[in-house]
Amino acid sequence: MKQLLIRRLIQSIPTLIGASILVFLVFTLAPGDFVTQMSADANMTQERLDEIRALHGLDQPLYKQYLTWMGNLLTGNFGESVLHRQPVTSVINTFMWNSFLIAIIVLVLQWIIASIVGIMAALRQYSIYDSAVTLIVFMAMSFPSFFLGLLMLKFFAVDYQIFPLGGMRSTGSTLTGWADFWDVMKHLALPVIVLTLLNIGSLTRYFRTNMLEVIRQDYVRTARAKGLKERVVIFKHALRNALLPLITLFALEIPGLFSGAIITERIFNWPGIGRVVLDGIFQRDYPLLMGFTMLLVVLTIVANILADLMYGVADPRVRNR
Amino acid sequence: MKKRSFSLFLCSLLTGALLLSACTQPAAQPTEQNQQQPNQSEQNQQEQTKAGEKKELGYIKATDPSKVPDSAKQRTDTMVLGITDPQGIFNYWFYNTVYDRYVIEAVTERLLSVAKDATVIPGLAEKWEISDDGLTYTFHIDKRAKFSDGKPVTAEDVAFAYHVLLDPKYDGRSNLSKAKIKGEDAYKNGNATSLEGVKVIDPQTIQVQVEEANATTLLLLGTEIFVLPKHYYGKDFAKGNLEYIKSLHQKPMGSGPYILKEFIPGQEVRLVANENYWKGAPKVKNLIFKSTTAETQIQSLKTGATDFDASISVNADNVEALKELGFVDLDMLLNNGYGYIAINHKLPKFQDKRVRQALMYGLNREEVVYAYSQGYAEVIDVPQSKLSWGYPDESKLTKYSYDPEKAKQLLDEAGWKLESDGYRYKDGQKFTIQFSASTPNEVNDALIPIAVENYKELGIEFIAEQLEFNAVIDKRNKGEHEMAFLAVGLSTDPDPYGLFHSKGGSNKDAYSNPKVDELLEAGLKEFDQAKRKAIYQEAYEIINDDIPVLFMYQRYNLNTISSRLSGFVISPYKYFSESLNEVQIN
Repeated sequence: MKQLLIRRLIQSIPTLIGASILVFLVFTLAPGDFVTQMSADANMTQERLDEIRALHGLDQPLYKQYLTWMGNLLTGNFGESVLHRQPVTSVINTFMWNSFLIAIIVLVLQWIIASIVGIMAALRQYSIYDSAVTLIVFMAMSFPSFFLGLLMLKFFAVDYQIFPLGGMRSTGSTLTGWADFWDVMKHLALPVIVLTLLNIGSLTRYFRTNMLEVIRQDYVRTARAKGLKERVVIFKHALRNALLPLITLFALEIPGLFSGAIITERIFNWPGIGRVVLDGIFQRDYPLLMGFTMLLVVLTIVANILADLMYGVADPRVRNR
Repeated sequence: MKKRSFSLFLCSLLTGALLLSACTQPAAQPTEQNQQQPNQSEQNQQEQTKAGEKKELGYIKATDPSKVPDSAKQRTDTMVLGITDPQGIFNYWFYNTVYDRYVIEAVTERLLSVAKDATVIPGLAEKWEISDDGLTYTFHIDKRAKFSDGKPVTAEDVAFAYHVLLDPKYDGRSNLSKAKIKGEDAYKNGNATSLEGVKVIDPQTIQVQVEEANATTLLLLGTEIFVLPKHYYGKDFAKGNLEYIKSLHQKPMGSGPYILKEFIPGQEVRLVANENYWKGAPKVKNLIFKSTTAETQIQSLKTGATDFDASISVNADNVEALKELGFVDLDMLLNNGYGYIAINHKLPKFQDKRVRQALMYGLNREEVVYAYSQGYAEVIDVPQSKLSWGYPDESKLTKYSYDPEKAKQLLDEAGWKLESDGYRYKDGQKFTIQFSASTPNEVNDALIPIAVENYKELGIEFIAEQLEFNAVIDKRNKGEHEMAFLAVGLSTDPDPYGLFHSKGGSNKDAYSNPKVDELLEAGLKEFDQAKRKAIYQEAYEIINDDIPVLFMYQRYNLNTISSRLSGFVISPYKYFSESLNEVQIN
């Protein structure tokens, strides 16, 4: 186990280096930089623009820029966001946890609901329940998020003012403790509902398909033949096996917890990282974009390793290979 | 059973949503269809008036102030102003976006200010003198001026601002180099520890010497300078070390009417009145700038979450929705800037003036501008704001109304002959235009289909290439573009040197006309406004005839104010945020 972990960690080093080069090139080779944006100012002159570029090292050859960036990265210095004029780490730290808060709640809700709905659908394949679930799930999936979000806002925040109209806390709120927590929860409700509805579809289908596959296996038939109760057959024998392929899926959702949901955050005016990164793209905030993308790269690699390890724990056949 | 009922609930919810979406869709459509008249001739009339129709400019009072939502009324000592999310750089020397600037202007002040009509008026400096040779500027700081901590604003603080803005490590967007302060080079690139041209005479008086002066020098040295307390920002300050100043972006301090209390990124900025404000304490105790997004700006006003919004884009749908609210005043102003289509003058096909004029006559600009703005923009024939004192006398200008016949005639004269395939050729070259269209962009969405059709009629193939905005700018900076739609913001002074002088910093189209160069230089050297106006009249007459770019429109700007607030002073040259101390709750 330990060996596997070490081996995987060492294997991920070249992946990281490759990814860093790719991330660097993708952003720096895109036309324009943040100084280009300043050129629209009436008082700007070419000489001044060149001066600012030089101050930020943008006049250096690409390989030098990469080495400087990488060197700083290795010492934990992500650089300064040109958009916020703050260290990249502090910008990410400010906004990422807001996104994480929504994402983690959505993740939990989504897995609970999808597992229940998906498994029930599998157990009653081709029943009215199954068809209804399939229909609903596909409908929910095919809604554009902005549309569903705006609709929810119109109903629940404007017409019947049950929930607040976007934001994370009430304006000018000086609440603390539980009152503050409750305030945030009220603001969370709509984005969480929308994101859960949008994401639940595919996951339900996974659960249903996996369950259907397992139920037809010989060992399930054997379990039934032994005279076990249906409940035991389903939850002990079938479900555990059906869950195996979903481990990978689960692990791969981990980076998504931190990446933010651009459209939903915009509509619900949620101070998340997705919106900040989108602004960063338009305004060419390279340090922020590269730092954030590298963070996601690392998270993805870690999640992959985690998936492998969890697979080993859950399935002895994999562990011994 | 429970699960089933839950999914049933979901099912009904979603089908309900679907049904509703089907119902609401038509209502959300633009009202164009509703306006269609059964009678053909009447419809034509309608079309004609529509393109020529101008929407109301100026201040539109609320129709029913009693409709102010209760939740807003309950905030008796607080106003909530909606703006697009600020980035948190609350220092004029380093900010990026106008949204940060709103906060900056609440907290800090500039040395000189501008009046509604763009004339220079006292700010922190109560008076100023310019020496006869125009090279020495003396500013006298108002004796009453105090920072929010009670300490007086002094000449040292002003000198501090000049030194930071010309520091070798300074990377903000102010460009004080243009003022050519004496000793700049020695300070920036040499060993000098201070600027030779900046002299503190006494605590209230500062003198600045420049090497070369022009009509904009006073603006650069005065209205562009925000004065920050050296005793607060100046710790560790030495040439080349701006780190401490940069660490205070989110904790600004200044002499403005409000004091920043808390900045919650992505959500709001909380400020309290500066009770010691030297022009008298502001009337509203608490001020909150709340981040709003285009999706919910109007709803926020409706539910009373905000009392004001500076970021609502002007279009028929929004204006109609706002008027329906009944309790908001609309302050509609001409934006101090204009939209235009850049033409690359390096390309031989665009070097003939007649061709450029043909491109103006041959494009139905009224239709394009109406399609983009639904009437909330004016078609222009000269690249200057209609409100500027430098705006030329229109009677001496050519008005390029849509006239395809004239355009064809001009192209014929220029030697572009129509061939049997319907396109024009000259020296075996087909007339095509590669248009670099930044996307997403509302103007391009309106422009491209009309331009393709209009120019096809002239025998020109108009090919639009969709690019991201930065890619368009990059292409143009490298001179690889043919045509691109862009917009420009103007400054307080009408001087267009940067845009149309052959050495202008923003002249990326290689436009060059010796006569224009000469006039623009003369306009800058002249200090007398009446004489400058005459010079610019001549320059704009040439530019109007010469078509360095295809002039498109000057659009409207909108500030939306709940009728429970009053006292805002807003003009194209002045943001609402400079009048916050005057605002009161009715």
